[in-house]
Amino acid sequence: MAEAVKKQGIKEFITSIPYNKIGLKDLMSFEKTPRNIIIAVITFAFLVSFAVGVALYLMHGHHSYNVTREHPWGLLIAVYIFFVVSSTGLCIVGSLGDVFGYKEYEMISKRAIFGSIVTIIAGFAVIAFEIGHPVTMLIYNVLTPGFTSAIWWMGTLYGLYLTFMIIEFVFLLKHDMRMARIFGLTGLLVGLAAHSNLGGVFGFLNARTISNGVFYPTYFILTAFITGIFIAFIMMGIRYRLSFPENAKKMLTNLAKIQGLLIAILIFFVTWKMLTDIYGGMPNRSEVALHILGSWTFWAEVVLAMAIPLLIILKSKGSAIHAMFWASLGGMVGVFFMRYNLVHDTQLKPLQMMKVREYQLAPEWVHYFPSAAEIMISLGGLGLCILLYYVGTKLFNLDAETH
Amino acid sequence: MQVELSRRKFLQGTVALSVAGGSAVSATNLFAGADTPEKKLTITTKTGVAKEVKLVPTLCEMCVNKCAAIARVEDGIVTKLDPNPMFPKSKNMLCPRGNAGIQALYDPDRLKYPMIRTGEKGEGKFKRVTWDEAFRYITEKTIKILDEEEDNRSTFLFCAGEGMAEHTFQTFYQAFGSSNWLNHSSICLQTVASAYGVTLGAYPQSDLENAEYIIMAGANRAEAIVTPDTMDIFKRTKGRGAKMVCIDPRFTNTAAKADQWLAINPGTDLAFVLALTYVVLDEELYDKAYVEKYFNDFDAYRAHILSNGYTPEWAEPITNIKAKEIYQIAREFMAHAPKAIYYPGRRSTFAKNDFQLRRAMAIFQALSGGIDTKGGLVFGGKIEIEDHESLMPLYDKAKERGVVKTEAGYADCAVVSGGGSWLAWRNNFLEGKMPYSVRGMFCYKHNPMQNMPNTKKTAEMLKKMELVVCIDTMPSDTVMYADVVLPECTYLERTDPVKTFGGVEPALAQRNKVIEPMFESKPVNEILRGLTKHLSRPLFEVTKKYDSEVQDALAEEDEEAYYQEEFDMTKMYSHDQEVLNVHAVHAYEGAAESLKRYGVYYPKMDQYYKQLSANEHQYYPEKEKFYSVGEGRPQTPSGKVECNLANMSSKGIDGMPTWRDEYCFSVPEGKFRLMTGRHAQYTQSGTSNNIVLYDLMPENYIWINKRVAKERGITFGDKVEVISSVGTTVIRAYPTEKIAPNQVFFIHGFGAESSALTWAYKNGGSDNAVIEDALEPVYGAAAMHETNVEIRKV
Amino acid sequence: MARYGMALDYKNCINCKACEVACKEENGILMGADKHRIWVGVKEIKGEYPLLDIVSSSFEPSQCQHCESAPCQEVCPTNATYYDENGVVRVDPDKCILCSYCMNACPYDARYVDDRTMTVDKCNFCSDTRLARGETTTACQATCPTKVRTFGDLDDPESEISVLLRTREHFSLKSHLGTKPKLFYLT
Repeated sequence: MAEAVKKQGIKEFITSIPYNKIGLKDLMSFEKTPRNIIIAVITFAFLVSFAVGVALYLMHGHHSYNVTREHPWGLLIAVYIFFVVSSTGLCIVGSLGDVFGYKEYEMISKRAIFGSIVTIIAGFAVIAFEIGHPVTMLIYNVLTPGFTSAIWWMGTLYGLYLTFMIIEFVFLLKHDMRMARIFGLTGLLVGLAAHSNLGGVFGFLNARTISNGVFYPTYFILTAFITGIFIAFIMMGIRYRLSFPENAKKMLTNLAKIQGLLIAILIFFVTWKMLTDIYGGMPNRSEVALHILGSWTFWAEVVLAMAIPLLIILKSKGSAIHAMFWASLGGMVGVFFMRYNLVHDTQLKPLQMMKVREYQLAPEWVHYFPSAAEIMISLGGLGLCILLYYVGTKLFNLDAETH
Repeated sequence: MQVELSRRKFLQGTVALSVAGGSAVSATNLFAGADTPEKKLTITTKTGVAKEVKLVPTLCEMCVNKCAAIARVEDGIVTKLDPNPMFPKSKNMLCPRGNAGIQALYDPDRLKYPMIRTGEKGEGKFKRVTWDEAFRYITEKTIKILDEEEDNRSTFLFCAGEGMAEHTFQTFYQAFGSSNWLNHSSICLQTVASAYGVTLGAYPQSDLENAEYIIMAGANRAEAIVTPDTMDIFKRTKGRGAKMVCIDPRFTNTAAKADQWLAINPGTDLAFVLALTYVVLDEELYDKAYVEKYFNDFDAYRAHILSNGYTPEWAEPITNIKAKEIYQIAREFMAHAPKAIYYPGRRSTFAKNDFQLRRAMAIFQALSGGIDTKGGLVFGGKIEIEDHESLMPLYDKAKERGVVKTEAGYADCAVVSGGGSWLAWRNNFLEGKMPYSVRGMFCYKHNPMQNMPNTKKTAEMLKKMELVVCIDTMPSDTVMYADVVLPECTYLERTDPVKTFGGVEPALAQRNKVIEPMFESKPVNEILRGLTKHLSRPLFEVTKKYDSEVQDALAEEDEEAYYQEEFDMTKMYSHDQEVLNVHAVHAYEGAAESLKRYGVYYPKMDQYYKQLSANEHQYYPEKEKFYSVGEGRPQTPSGKVECNLANMSSKGIDGMPTWRDEYCFSVPEGKFRLMTGRHAQYTQSGTSNNIVLYDLMPENYIWINKRVAKERGITFGDKVEVISSVGTTVIRAYPTEKIAPNQVFFIHGFGAESSALTWAYKNGGSDNAVIEDALEPVYGAAAMHETNVEIRKV
Repeated sequence: MARYGMALDYKNCINCKACEVACKEENGILMGADKHRIWVGVKEIKGEYPLLDIVSSSFEPSQCQHCESAPCQEVCPTNATYYDENGVVRVDPDKCILCSYCMNACPYDARYVDDRTMTVDKCNFCSDTRLARGETTTACQATCPTKVRTFGDLDDPESEISVLLRTREHFSLKSHLGTKPKLFYLT
């Protein structure tokens, strides 16, 4: 970048970023089909709920959340993970073309990279209301860094990652593919590091046998890729209103094949995790795993994010891209449960199993259901995501340049 | 700091309210502190924040134990109560209630001003008045009633709860000249204290620090904390120096800490002790030398036990304790004698046979020779101090105590003790059986509405009284029925009479005022000073009018001098308590100073007292301890253990402990025997509004056997209605295997009906709403475990 | 400079919770069932009345174990959790960002949120109250009726706690996690 900036001067470098000059009017001008109107209304409703949720939080602090001493991490953490996994996934998908040079995927690179920026911003917006003191975090993350903390690495690396992604996107807009590749690669590596550290946040918890170990850091990378492909289908589907041009069809078919392989690996991973959890003989682990097997949210994850997409892919050898569009929407719901389960299941087993008050039942499983404020802020994150993406489609040319 | 703020705000609110004046404060606001509406949970204050720090030694009053505490006062606010390590009785400890004393002081619901009732009785509507107005009102009413009753002083009932200033109030009762005094004894430890008294000559203490074998029957020292017993015993159970056998129908925390727990049928302990005695007599395991020297009527007792066939096999079906276990316990006990203790306990009367049970226990203990000896029951030493000043004029027109007499004696009980029988008295009053009319009552630090069986009747009694004067710190259920409410300050705001504590390590201790009384509250000494200033002279005028003996005396003497000498009640309260305390201990050099500075005094304390480690202190060197004060001699007038009370037989009471068939435990099918009890984090109704303790145990739950609960579809937390012949209460269920299928239990003191208590109001179930008024036959004590109840899920 | 630890003669414990109240009063802890720095744990009894398993109902006083290798400290992103010069694991509320990672990481459930400062709070051996003014016991030790607790310097071979640990068998909680707790349960 230094080179590019040196050549141009920073001001000129920034002002020469190509974008469309739009006003509010342009944002409001979309084809008023019923579907578009519904999406617009929902997005608006989500943004309103975000405002209400944040207001509740500002008034009552964590009391407006259903988090407790036994279950300190709630829905917002899950939603944060959902967004940053999406971001990493999009980054991986975007990198296929502009970093690794698979030409056929270049058509989605810019869109995916922009998507990764949007989703991580949404993630940060949500986590800002979960972390009690985000400003303090910015200060002491620098002044007294906790190098042994996976959260420190995760947060710091994601901060860098966001920077690299933005720079990469700028070079993509400027069609400077060499620089885009350099920053894309750096961003991807930092993103993967950040993301595996997010897995490490759970993997380092030696008190939580269900999460402890290498599983989550690696699993996160895999599921990120899967999530990226789901979103790629959704973005492309919306972009072309499901009437794909030939090159898009070809790309999506290939993506679907990759997706099939990844989901197969994921099923393999999860099966073995469950088997070792249940039969591995680690204290406290099998009962937690069995409890997870008995929860509907686990099966929502399995059916929506694994079984249905895999069946469609296997049946059509990847060519049923319409079906894959819908399956990807369902898949994202499944991915949401994947994140929610990960957070909740980690905390399922109380660390203190004794009664501390005379008249209470002995602690058994920790119960949690998100509060209204948590749900509102989470939906708000989604609303923010859609809004930013929509603005992005207006502001930038997210299609590949035709050369 | 926000906590700091909230306490400060509370105090500021206080000041603001007292400035606002009577008329400005509406009746409903009288109870409300500044913080009440928000039910603030920021109650505690971090120590060490303030600049000015003062440490004041005091004595706790969260229960009856009187443990020594040191109050930390920071900028005028009590921020912490720490144990005072110098007091041998409480040995450097404060229990949860002791720690929570700060919240008794800063309870936003405290009584703050004198008040006069404006609404119906029980409704809780009062108007704020000045102290003078309250005193004038009391005087006017009292004089009117006394005039109508022609100076029968007994037309007024006086009742008091336990406390260091109880005696101060009692001097008022004595000078007033009534014969009707009711205190906590008959709903407390009357039978146990008296039974040991008539058998051994005193209610002894237990040397649990040195005993090697302890039978802890019907006493729950882990939850009903008694110092020093609780501290001494639980360090030594579980194979660490003492074996403790816990006998209790319930699996209590004491049972959990015991080496052996035996579930006994309620009310059958007497059969258990008789069987133990049988084994000891039959196998001649007793201390023959001791029996020879110190027993009266031993042969008769021996014959009585053996001929009645009180064998372990006989006791097994009655008690539900295996005969072989009774043999084992009797033999082990005697093998460890005299370092073996059948723990006397300290509690309310549970069964009608309690007096006989205690007698049997005392005699069994004596058979081991473990009396007045290290590791056994001890009488201990005592430091004598000067008595309080009192005045006991003779009122010719005052009638004797209101009891119902029969040809044989009394209708309700064999013996009428000083504290009377509360239950019998109340019932006679309600049934119109009193020999004369009783129309007014003075009630000090006492809550008969919650502490006596059959709440409905107590309410009826309080409604019938024409004048009820309550002196208290909290708007209790009883205060709601008062005509006049006089706010006493809490124990942290007053100096109380110095008290002597006898025992193995005797000491004096004094409750020193920690901070000035808040609001308009006063110590009882000052309340009585004010009241007698108004009341004393008019009372004398009534006597003058009706009492011919006084009239005769006045014919010869100067009226003023005669009044001042014989009838002037004000003189008893003219001195502040600090002055009286200095006088009380003037025989001991440096005592007054030591009591003020350390809260504690005993001779040679400066030489003896030593800190041995962070947790341990020496009060007396081993050889100076008062394990034995009479070489084993009982303190009865005869100097012997009294096995047979001949004079009791004439009153229809067994002279020797005897089992009767009606003592057998049985519960009709589908019903449950209701049991009640104490708790380490809760002292009866007195602490029910303490927010810190409420936080530890927000509600009482009824224990019901798990299998029975399952059958009835009752799960944890379900609300159930408990129904007896006298009333009902609603409470949440705690299914547990710690209780028998035909019994239920819940902690006493919850379920207050006073809406002025923010946290206690209608919180949990009230045992006395359902406990039937069963009288124990010897002293007329309330037998608390004689009620069968039904349980219905609501 | 010391290395503070605590020995608990836990068989003495009668579950009266005096320690919990003393802690709250001394350190200005909020009310609320889950706002406690220290607690006494109880297991529901096993067996059927009257054949109850007397040893299954023990009382276990617990709190922050002041681990020498504290998971909560390792996971703190801003080093708000730190070891003070006496080896006490403490929280600097100025640095705490309330990410709650430590609450999840602590194997002993010793941490909770203080609603006033909105930071994570925990036992600090009364370091900023009693120890700061020169006292040598914690509030929980001083008040305990059955004297369960002995607090002291593990580095001083003459301290009461060192003598206790030399002469009495003891165990620590969840030590298989490698946390090196400085709370020792005497047997």
